[in-house]
Amino acid sequence: MVAYVVRRLLLAVLTVWAISVLSFMIIHLPPGDYVTSYIASMSASGSAVSEGEANALREQLGLDKPITVQYAKWMGLMLQGNFGMAMEWGRPVSDVIGDRLTLTMVISVAAIIFTWALALPIGIYSAVYPYSFADYVFTFVGFIGLAIPGFLLALVVMYVGFAYFGANVGGLFSPDFAEAPWSLAKIWDLTKHLPIPAVVLGVSGTAQLIRIMRSNLLDELRKPYVMTARARGLSEYRVIMRYPVRVALNPFVSTIGYLLPYVVSGSIIVSLVLSLPTVGPLLLKALIAQDMFLAGTIVLLLGVMTVIGTFISDLLLMWVDPRIRLGRQ
Amino acid sequence: MKLMRAVRALAGLGLVGTMAIWSGGAAAQAAAPAQPAKIGSSLIGKLQGPELIRDAKAFPTTFKEAPMLAEQVKAGKLPAVDKRLPEPSQLFVVKPLDQVGKYGGNWRRAFTGPADHENGNRIVSADKILTFDYTGTKIIPSLARDWKVSDDGRTTTIFLRKGAKWSDGKPLTADDFIFWYNDIYLNKNIVPTPFFEFQIDGKDGKMRKVDDYTVAFDFPEPYTFFVYQLAGSTAIGAGFATRGGFQNFGGAYAPAHYLKQFLPKYSSEEAANKKAKDLGFDSWVSLLKMKYSWALNNELPTMTPWKTVSPINTPTWSMERNPYFWAVDTAGNQLPYIDRITMTLAENAEVANLRAIAGEYDIQERHMHLTKLPVFLENAKKGNYTVHLDPGLNGSDVAIHIGNSYEADPEISKLLKNKDFRHALALGIDRDQLNEAFWLGVGSAGSVAPAPDTIYSPGAEWNKKWGVLDLKQANELLDKIGLTKKDADGYRLRADGKGRLRLEMITVGGQFVPFTQVGEMVKQQWKKIGVDLDVKELERNLAFTRDNGSENQMITWANDGSEMLFLFPRHALPVDAAEAHMGMAFAKWYSSKGASGKKPDDPEMLKAFDLFRSAFGMKEEDRVKAGKEIWKIIVEQAWSIGTVGQSPAFMGVRLVKNNMGNVPERQVNAQHARTPNTSMPITFYFK
Repeated sequence: MVAYVVRRLLLAVLTVWAISVLSFMIIHLPPGDYVTSYIASMSASGSAVSEGEANALREQLGLDKPITVQYAKWMGLMLQGNFGMAMEWGRPVSDVIGDRLTLTMVISVAAIIFTWALALPIGIYSAVYPYSFADYVFTFVGFIGLAIPGFLLALVVMYVGFAYFGANVGGLFSPDFAEAPWSLAKIWDLTKHLPIPAVVLGVSGTAQLIRIMRSNLLDELRKPYVMTARARGLSEYRVIMRYPVRVALNPFVSTIGYLLPYVVSGSIIVSLVLSLPTVGPLLLKALIAQDMFLAGTIVLLLGVMTVIGTFISDLLLMWVDPRIRLGRQ
Repeated sequence: MKLMRAVRALAGLGLVGTMAIWSGGAAAQAAAPAQPAKIGSSLIGKLQGPELIRDAKAFPTTFKEAPMLAEQVKAGKLPAVDKRLPEPSQLFVVKPLDQVGKYGGNWRRAFTGPADHENGNRIVSADKILTFDYTGTKIIPSLARDWKVSDDGRTTTIFLRKGAKWSDGKPLTADDFIFWYNDIYLNKNIVPTPFFEFQIDGKDGKMRKVDDYTVAFDFPEPYTFFVYQLAGSTAIGAGFATRGGFQNFGGAYAPAHYLKQFLPKYSSEEAANKKAKDLGFDSWVSLLKMKYSWALNNELPTMTPWKTVSPINTPTWSMERNPYFWAVDTAGNQLPYIDRITMTLAENAEVANLRAIAGEYDIQERHMHLTKLPVFLENAKKGNYTVHLDPGLNGSDVAIHIGNSYEADPEISKLLKNKDFRHALALGIDRDQLNEAFWLGVGSAGSVAPAPDTIYSPGAEWNKKWGVLDLKQANELLDKIGLTKKDADGYRLRADGKGRLRLEMITVGGQFVPFTQVGEMVKQQWKKIGVDLDVKELERNLAFTRDNGSENQMITWANDGSEMLFLFPRHALPVDAAEAHMGMAFAKWYSSKGASGKKPDDPEMLKAFDLFRSAFGMKEEDRVKAGKEIWKIIVEQAWSIGTVGQSPAFMGVRLVKNNMGNVPERQVNAQHARTPNTSMPITFYFK
C-alpha cells in the first residue's frame, strides 16, 4: 500500500515536470512573442509602441534569448518559489493568480454543489421510476441542458436579467461593493450574484450526471442481489440507497480527478461572457498576450491539479468500493 | 415584435470577441442599416470644447476648492488651496464649455483589464508637456506654461509653471527633467535604445537646464517638428499618462525625490536588487518599471488631475482627485470638478456594452461598438443617456494595406508592385455598400487620405481619387496588364499559366471594426472584375508576425493616426519597423538607413521617403506642403487601398448620461488629441 502510494507520487512529480516542459513549449508555438502582441494590442487600441521601445522591452524581458535559456530562467525562479512576473499585469504571477483563485473556487464549488444536489436525486428518481411521466420530463429537460452551450445560456440569462429584471449584469459584485473591503454586506452581495453563474455553469454538468446516474442505477437495480434484498423484506429506501446507489456512484468518484482543475480554472468561455473575475479569462488573456510566465504557471497549475485529482480519486475509489480495495490486497 | 427585439438585441450583443459566430450577427446587422443611417448622421453634433485662457490679466485671483479637500484643509492634513496651486500668473486657466461646474461625483466607466491602460491614460493626459486644443489642430501649453523654438530650429525651450507641485506637494522643477534625462533616459539598463522622437535623422538630442523653471532641448540639426513631438502622443512629451503609463519610461520628466530610492546610482546595485527581490521582482529594473507606472503604483507622485487609488491590475481601477492639480476655471475653482473615477472590470467588451445600455456608465466611448448603435438608441431613454458620434479624421477604418515587399509568390508579387493592378483593385470596391452594411451609413467612402479639414490633407478631391467604384475602368486596367484570359467561372488566370489568379487577404477578428466581414464583401465585389480573393482570418499576433516577415499579400487594418502624418506615419507609409503593414522590409530599410531590410524599387516610394525624412527640420509651412505632397503620392500609388473612414467606429461612439455637464456634442477623435483629453475631462461635472 505504502509502496503503491510512493510509486504514484514519484510518477506524479515526473508528470508535472513533463507538463512544465510541454506547457512552456505550447506557449512558444504560436508565432511572435509578448512584444509582438503588445505592439498589436497598442495599435488596436489607438496607441503605439516605437521600434526602440519594442527592442528595449524584448531585452528587459529576456525574450531575445533562446527558448532553452528562458525555460531555465523560469525553472530557476520556480525552484525558489517565484513564478516570475506577469508581463501584462506588472505584478508577480503568484499575486495575479492568487487574487482570482478564491473567487474561482467559490464559483466552481457553488456550481458543483448545484450540480450534485440536483443530479443525484433526479438521477435516482428517474432510475427507480423509469419511463414515468416525471422521468420523461427530466429526460427532456436534461437533453436540452446538454444541448445548449453554456455561453449561449449565459447570454440569454444576461439579456433576460437585464431586460425584465433590471438586474446588474455580469460580474460577481454590485458596483458599490466591488471596491469595498470584505464585510457581511459584501458577502451577501456575492451570494446574490452567485446563483446565475452557478446555474449556468452547472446546467450541462447536471444533465450529464442525471443520465449517467440513471443508467448506472438502472443496471444495478436489475441485478439479483437487489431482488434478494427486496425478498428479504428490506424497506424500499434501504434497498436502493444502501447498495445499488453506492455502486452507481463509482463514476462520480472517478470524475473527481477532473473536478479539481475545474475548480481552480472555472469555465473559460462562460466566465468571459458573464465577466466573472476567475482564472479562466486570465488564462485566455495570458495566452493571447503570450504572457509566458502567467500562462505557463496557470497551465502548470491545471496539470498539477489533474495529477493530484487523479491521485485522490484513486484513493477514494479504493475507499468507496470494497471490490477494488479487496482486489488490491 | 417583442421576440424580434430580443433577437436583435442578442445579435447586437454579439458573441464574445474572436469566438464570435459572426455570420448570425452580420446578417442581422446587414438587414438593419437602411433606417438608422439617417439617425446616425444626426447624432454627429457640432465640434466644441473648452478654451484655454492665455492672458494672465484675465486670470482669477481668489481660489476655491472641492468640499472633500476643504475638509482635509480644515483638519490640517492639507495646505490651503492657494498654497497648493502654482503662482497665480502661472496657472492653467480654462473657460469650461458651457458653464462653471459643480464639485463632486464619481465618474463610472468600464475597462477591460491591465492591457487597457490607455482607457485611463487618455483621461488624465493633461500631464503632457504640450497638448492640442479642442479642434486637434493647434498646439497649446499643458504642463509647460509656454514654449519657444529658436530661429535656427535647433533648440526648443519650455517654460514651467512656478510653484506647480507633484501630487505629494513637492515642487516640480527643471531638476525633475534633468533627473529623467540623466538617470532614466541615459541609463542603458532602463532605456536601451534612444527614442526616435528625441533624435533628428538618427542623431541624439540633448536636454539642458536653463534655470529652475526653464528646460531646453538641443539638437545637432534643425528640428522644428520637435514641438509637435512634445504635444503629440509620443514617448518624449508624455508625462506619466501617455507613454510612461506602462512598460515604457516616457518622459521628459519624473519625480526625482520619489524614484531615486529605486535606482542603484543612489544606493548600490546589490541594495537595489535586494529591494526588488524582497518584493518579488527579478531585478531593480522590473521593480522600477512597476513603480514608474501611475496606473500600477498608487504611491507615485504625479502631475495628473486624478491619481490612482486602486491599481489597474485589480477588478476596479479607481482614481481620486489630485489635491495639487495646477488648473483652475475662470471663477478660480481648482479643477477637476469630479472627485473620483471608478472603472469596473468587464472581462470582455460585450459585457461593457450591455452595462452601458443599462445606464451603468456616466461617460463611455471606449469599447462601445458602432454596430450596436440601434440597440444603444433603443435603450437611450431607459438608460437616461445620450449617444454622441465622434467621427475620426483618418481616411479609412478598413484600409487594405498591400504587401508591397511581399515576395513569396513571384507572379503575385509582380502584380502587387504594379500600380495599374492596385488601381484596378481600388476601383473594384463598392464602398457605399460597405458603408451601409458595416458603418450604418455614417462613414465616408473613399481613399486613404485624411479628412479634408486636417493639416496635411491635399484637398477633398484626393479623398475620392482611386476611391470610387468604376468596374469598366478596373476591367480595362486588368486587361491592359495582360490578365485577359478567364476560366469558366469568369475569374482571370495568372499570366504564368499556373491556373486562376487568387489573392489572399489577411484579416484579424475581434477588433473595433469587423475586418473579416468587410473582406468577405470585398471578395464578392471583386468577383465582378474577375479577381478571386481568399479572405483568411488570423489571430492578431500571427497576422502581425507575418507582417514582420513581409509574408502577407494584403492585410486589413485601420489607418488611424495617419492624419498626423509626421507624428504617426506607420499607418500611411512603411517607415516604422515596429509596425508596417505595407512593406516591413522597406520600413526596416528606411529606419536603419539602409543597413538592413530591402530598398524599395518603386521610385515614388523613395521620393516619399526623402520628403518624409527632410520634413522634420523644415519650417512649418514647408512641412505642411511636404505633407500634402506625400499624401498625393500615397493616394496616387495606392500602396494602401481605402474603403470607408472618417467614422466613429474607432472609439467614437460615446454614451453620456444626461446629468453630465460641459460635455461637447462632438469631440475630436484622434490619437494625437488623446481623446478625450482635448475636451478636458477636468471640466466635466455632474449637474
